[in-house]
Amino acid sequence: MAEEFDVEFIERGDRSARFLVRGLTPAFANGIRRAMIADVPTLSIDTVRFIENTSVMFDEMIALRLGLIPLTTPLDDFEVGETVTLALDVEGPATAYSGDIQSSVPEVQPADENVPIIELKQGQRLEFEADAVLDSGKTHAKHQGGVAVGYRHLQRVEVVGDAGEFEEQEPNILRGVIETEDGELVNADEFGNDLTQRYPGKEVEVHDVPGAFVFHVETDGSFSVDELVLRAIESLDLRAAELEEKVRV
Amino acid sequence: MMIPVRCFTCGNVVAEHWEEFKARARDGDEDPEAVLDDLGVNRYCCRRMMVSHKDLVDVVSPYQ
Repeated sequence: MAEEFDVEFIERGDRSARFLVRGLTPAFANGIRRAMIADVPTLSIDTVRFIENTSVMFDEMIALRLGLIPLTTPLDDFEVGETVTLALDVEGPATAYSGDIQSSVPEVQPADENVPIIELKQGQRLEFEADAVLDSGKTHAKHQGGVAVGYRHLQRVEVVGDAGEFEEQEPNILRGVIETEDGELVNADEFGNDLTQRYPGKEVEVHDVPGAFVFHVETDGSFSVDELVLRAIESLDLRAAELEEKVRV
Repeated sequence: MMIPVRCFTCGNVVAEHWEEFKARARDGDEDPEAVLDDLGVNRYCCRRMMVSHKDLVDVVSPYQ
């Protein structure tokens, strides 16, 4: 596996991206996907010490909601198992939002500020201290940095002839990303996922391109897509190196 | 009771958009489909979280 991988971005955002990788085997593509889901650690609230909770929800229910709130995670500064202390104090009538959570480390903040934790009525109060721990998605789904991570084959569309002149053309539905005969990459969304919209009156053939995978990656806001993908590959790399070390004669 | 923080199926954080969705599509008169598209809640698993949710805090709060 000495050949180079060729990576090309189709869409690139902070929290969502779509990119094409050539030169992968299906096993390696799946390895990257799994590493993105289960191996890249994120910070998430794990232990909550309630000082006062007179809201309509039980402590456990609020603790569950807190665990699911994504926290920005500077992965260079933390080791797996390290904790960050967070606190919140809101008195009703008001709604406690994720943005009200105070953090002891400025780099660790709730990634989204408008997540309602609990609506508090007159006289109700929520005050707690919580520990966020850095752990991987293997331990608990709340530590997954990647959301809806997946991949598809790149599909090559070739025009093989004209459709019958008097035939009613049926929709030819397709998802994912296609490669045209000129080598252009087009997301199927752009032509309404219907090949007859892009090639009206043409007969087309669709083939999977071997070794070319289109990844769609979203993150929950803990870090950017770039960070998630690079960390996932790094974790694969480390494990491959470890295996090489362990089985050496 | 409160909107779930994440989508049950895919794990996307949907609660972030709840208040805006509620203000525009429930209390306002905008089309829920257009509001969800605008908020970037694209998958149908996430959309059902918003469409099928009912806030119950007001219902249970008198029985504390």
